[in-house]
Amino acid sequence: MIQALVFLPLIGALIAGFIAILGAHGRNPSGDEMDHAHDDHGHGDASAHAHAAHGHDDHGHDDHDDHHHVAEPAALGSRAAELITAGLLVVSAVLSWMTFVDVAFMHHDARIVLLNWINSGDLQLSWTLRVDTLTAVMLVVVTTVSSLVHIYSLGYMEDDPNRPRFMAYLSLFTFMMLMLVTADNLLQLFFGWEGVGLASYLLIGFWFKKPSANAAAIKAFVVNRVGDFGFLLGIFALFMLVGSTDLDTIFASAPGLTGKTINFFGWHADALTLTCLLLFVGAMGKSAQFLLHTWLPDAMEGPTPVSALIHAATMVTAGVFMVARMSPLFELAPNAQAVVMLVGATTAFFAATIGLVQNDIKRIVAYSTCSQLGYMFVALGTGAYSVAMFHLFTHAFFKALLFLGSGSVIYAMHHEQDIRKMGGLWNKIPFTYAMMTIGTLALTGFPFTAGYFSKDAIIEAAYASHTQFAFYGFLMTVVAALLTSFYSWRLVFKTFHGEPHDKKHYDAAHEAPLWMLVPLAVLGIGSFAAGFPFKELFAGHHVGEFFRESLKMNPHIIEEMHHIPGWVPYVPTVMMVLGFLISYLFYVRKPYLPVELANQHPLLYKFLLNKWYFDELYEIIFVRPAKWIGHFLWKKGDGMIIDGLGPDGISARVLNITRGVVKLQTGYLYHYAFAMLIGVAGLITWFIFGLGGQ
Amino acid sequence: MNGILHNYLPLVVFIGIASVIGLALLIAPFLVAYQQPDPEKLSAYECGFNAFDDARMKFDVRFYLVAILFIIFDLEVAFLFPWAVAFGKLGATGFWSMIVFLGVLTIGFAYEWKKGALEWD
Amino acid sequence: MTITTAGYSLLPVLPELMLAVGAMVLLMIGAFNGPKVTGLVTTLAVCLLVVVGAAEIMLPAGKHVTFGGSFIVDDYARFLKVLAIIASAVTLILSREFLADQSRRIFEYAILVLLSTLGMMVLISAGDLIMLYLGLELMSLALYVVAASNRDNAKSTEAGLKYFVLGALSSGMLLYGASMIYGFTGTVSFAGIAAEAKTGNIGLVFGLVFLLAGLCFKVSAVPFHMWTPDVYEGAPTPVTAFFASAPKVAALAVFTRVTLTAFPGIVVQWQQVVVFVSLASMVLGSFAAIGQTNIKRLMAYSSIGHMGFALVGLAAGTQEGAQGVLVYIAIYVAMTLGTFAIILTMKRNGQPVETIKDFAGLSRTNPIIAFFFAMFLFSLAGVPPLAGFFGKFYVFMAAIKSGLFVLAVVGVLASVVGAFYYLSIVKLMYFDEPVGKLDPMRVELRTVLAVAGLFNVLFFVYPAPLVSAAAFAAKSLF
Repeated sequence: MIQALVFLPLIGALIAGFIAILGAHGRNPSGDEMDHAHDDHGHGDASAHAHAAHGHDDHGHDDHDDHHHVAEPAALGSRAAELITAGLLVVSAVLSWMTFVDVAFMHHDARIVLLNWINSGDLQLSWTLRVDTLTAVMLVVVTTVSSLVHIYSLGYMEDDPNRPRFMAYLSLFTFMMLMLVTADNLLQLFFGWEGVGLASYLLIGFWFKKPSANAAAIKAFVVNRVGDFGFLLGIFALFMLVGSTDLDTIFASAPGLTGKTINFFGWHADALTLTCLLLFVGAMGKSAQFLLHTWLPDAMEGPTPVSALIHAATMVTAGVFMVARMSPLFELAPNAQAVVMLVGATTAFFAATIGLVQNDIKRIVAYSTCSQLGYMFVALGTGAYSVAMFHLFTHAFFKALLFLGSGSVIYAMHHEQDIRKMGGLWNKIPFTYAMMTIGTLALTGFPFTAGYFSKDAIIEAAYASHTQFAFYGFLMTVVAALLTSFYSWRLVFKTFHGEPHDKKHYDAAHEAPLWMLVPLAVLGIGSFAAGFPFKELFAGHHVGEFFRESLKMNPHIIEEMHHIPGWVPYVPTVMMVLGFLISYLFYVRKPYLPVELANQHPLLYKFLLNKWYFDELYEIIFVRPAKWIGHFLWKKGDGMIIDGLGPDGISARVLNITRGVVKLQTGYLYHYAFAMLIGVAGLITWFIFGLGGQ
Repeated sequence: MNGILHNYLPLVVFIGIASVIGLALLIAPFLVAYQQPDPEKLSAYECGFNAFDDARMKFDVRFYLVAILFIIFDLEVAFLFPWAVAFGKLGATGFWSMIVFLGVLTIGFAYEWKKGALEWD
Repeated sequence: MTITTAGYSLLPVLPELMLAVGAMVLLMIGAFNGPKVTGLVTTLAVCLLVVVGAAEIMLPAGKHVTFGGSFIVDDYARFLKVLAIIASAVTLILSREFLADQSRRIFEYAILVLLSTLGMMVLISAGDLIMLYLGLELMSLALYVVAASNRDNAKSTEAGLKYFVLGALSSGMLLYGASMIYGFTGTVSFAGIAAEAKTGNIGLVFGLVFLLAGLCFKVSAVPFHMWTPDVYEGAPTPVTAFFASAPKVAALAVFTRVTLTAFPGIVVQWQQVVVFVSLASMVLGSFAAIGQTNIKRLMAYSSIGHMGFALVGLAAGTQEGAQGVLVYIAIYVAMTLGTFAIILTMKRNGQPVETIKDFAGLSRTNPIIAFFFAMFLFSLAGVPPLAGFFGKFYVFMAAIKSGLFVLAVVGVLASVVGAFYYLSIVKLMYFDEPVGKLDPMRVELRTVLAVAGLFNVLFFVYPAPLVSAAAFAAKSLF
């Protein structure tokens, strides 16, 4: 059953990929045109950089129309590819729910060895599927959201000629994600980790004829490499310490590692702290945490279903999952936990502030995702891993809902993404409106929605925690709750209420087809149902029984969460209401207020609008020096020194010498005779002056 | 020292007599000959060359041929003299060696004859 | 057989005598029948060479010395004589087409080749300076004439004249050196010189330098190489093939014998000379060849470079080095003759084409020829596992064992540069557009090409016969 649920998406991906290749071949039998496409791609990159450097806030509009010009017919078998992949995913989802019940409630943890992988000295690895409650939760999240996104894509992508390729990528992603969550050793986890990175890269750059999409895909890939480097170092460190990358072996020997040190660039670091921090760097990259977050908003260049699946519900939560998976280590490294908390809280606040002023509907949701991931890390930092998983679980539903809802809006508005050009849409697309409202309620933590339970639990855990940055975490999450509420409602008000700003698009707006609405409805239900029924399992008294060995919780945190002052649980709700009211005031009652406010505080407004100038900062600190070094090594290092003194230089010298030597051959007899005499005279002279050594 | 020089005395005598005879023959015409230059007498003589002309002129390659052929057989004779003088001491080996040498030369002679090198036209 | 005259055994010189008498007989046949028997004379000349080669092999084993030490027949001489005879015979075979032309039916050609070969055999067996000079002059005089055998062609006559004048100069140097050596040692025999020349007396070294200069001219080693490109280009192509093969064998043979047997006492001195000319030849051969557009000129520089490589083995001054030289020259002869068989094939509409550009696209018009040519070029460049690689391998091995690291390194670098022009022809043949079809290949060229080509390609399968024969031959020098 487990093998089936893991490998069905792979089968789907292969079938769809095969159809895609056939289709591509059918369109370009000679393959010539493909080459041209690649050329375009190469040239496009340069302009993409120019774009990126000037900020990509508001140019989403013109770019997004690009793929509409493509009047290619869809490849033969597109519909078949879609149905096969979607069908297999649905089967997989059903199986995963069955597995979930089997594992989480029946306590049938599974460990399935598929085959041997590496057998080299100490390094003994096999492909093993590990299914415990933690994995089961992830399986459910991944396959459910993925299957819904697959179905949604049937409608959303219907006018794209490359649908089989899209579906193949989606299914490949799902498979990789499943490999990631079922990993039994760190290397297998890393395989999945890189696999989802690859799928993410392919999907962000799915419309590869669009320069900005290419740039975004590259950016996502490169920024993730930074995190992956840390992750790899963490794996190496663990292998050095433990001699194995097997999770069970590592966990078993983890207690013995306390107090050990590693020589890290001459600094005797505490082994566990260092290892955990390195692993966390990996998590930061994947989960777009503060400092490594810049790729996530740009990743919105990908098709909206991709954003929902990868950049909201699943892949970006891989970092959270990984830290939770390594909880036995983090529990032994309080300093690392404090850092997790610090970074998480900062991200939660920082991303929310940026979300306040963004105008691209998907970017707002993206920053919201970033912020919510920060919440999860705050929970991880407190040691309440189950709470983080709870938020991950609920967030998957309502964030996917928000993204897919945004997709529906975008679909209705003919790929218009700027909320300033929307407005008053609620009566045009009432179902989408309702679903977006549900999503927003869940995100902001409206009582009895899914987000309410998980988010409150995080804030309570932060309050109850005793780690160094606990209060900071509490404060930041509370403020972020206010900001979240504000920008979420801002999005709803600007999109669905007020006056329509783009009459043409407004008039043409219509509800999406059923393929898209059904997943919305399912997720809408999920946004309610994922909360209360699971509250006790994730954040209540049944945590220990539910997760058992799969998580090593802070032993006191759950208990302490229930003994906090009575006012604390109400704080987030108050914040939520406050945010709603301000938003209502700003965008419904007195729409001139935000403009005035922005004019009064131009610096702050610019600062937020430009995302704290992180892209510009990185441009100066990393990109330009890197480009300069690259340019230097290319022109001077490679071109001048290696080529100049190496191949090119030598061949040029060779030709010079050749020319000289050929000139010697004058054709005159007396020159030849002279050369012979010179030769003899030279040799004689050599010996006369005793240089030959008598 | 004197002994060595003494050995060369015949040579000195030989050179002396040769010089006297040569000079005598050179000078005598100037003293006794009847001289009456005329253009016909001063014009090209036998080989067809002008008496006074640029040395780097083209002339018939057959002169070379004749000269080289002459030198070959001249050398043959030059070899024959010492051989003849020492013949008594050389014995059979000496005799047959020279016969082989002459045989080779004869083959060469036959070749040049057949090739027509000896005919002027 | 005990033919003696005046106490000297004639048995060791029997092959030479046969060749001499045979040549004269053929001369008479030609002289009395005229140009129409050119083909017959050539065929008979080849047969004669085969017989002489067989006689050489069938001489009683061991070392024979006659004429008071002037003439030596040992394994070394046998090996090289057979090689030179093979080269001459193959050249005659390659020349058939050249001689078949109505205007060039010169029966003397074959006889001159025979006489030149006779000179080579004397040269290879030379045991003193007199015999050396006799052999050298007999070989060279015939070569001068052969170079100009295409009398109506200005380039051919120019080649003959240049070769003659410079050859005379080099003979002068050689004679001058020989007389100085005689003056300082009081003997002309190699064994005698070896006994006398124990120290690097400056006068003796003078003589040595002049003697080696004369020999360097014959192997066309830098800086005595200048005649080579002009003569190779000007001479008729079969003659060029002859120049590039047999005389090189003989000259290298006498070079090796003189240095190793007459001057073992002053190795340090002659080693410097050899190292210098070897280095200079390898480098110049490689560099200058790049600038060539005529395939024959290119082969001239190629042969200069190859002589440099062969001299690397001699520079080692050891038995291994001598073995390396012998292996190298044998493989070189095979490669060169095969290559020239191809160059001789390069004809369009009966007109020979000689520029390198004419090889463009050969792989498409004549795939088999192109394949063999590519193999020869790879082999000349020293690419394993072809024969040329083994030649280089043995000489460099010997050089390294003697501590001549600089020489070996420069040699390898030079062969890298050399690879450039060899490979550029391969590129031309396989990747460029064809310029037109060649005339069909003649049977004898095909045969030569096939034999040389297979030797070249398959040498690595069974190298033992050649290598062990060379080892025996080298052993007899020490």
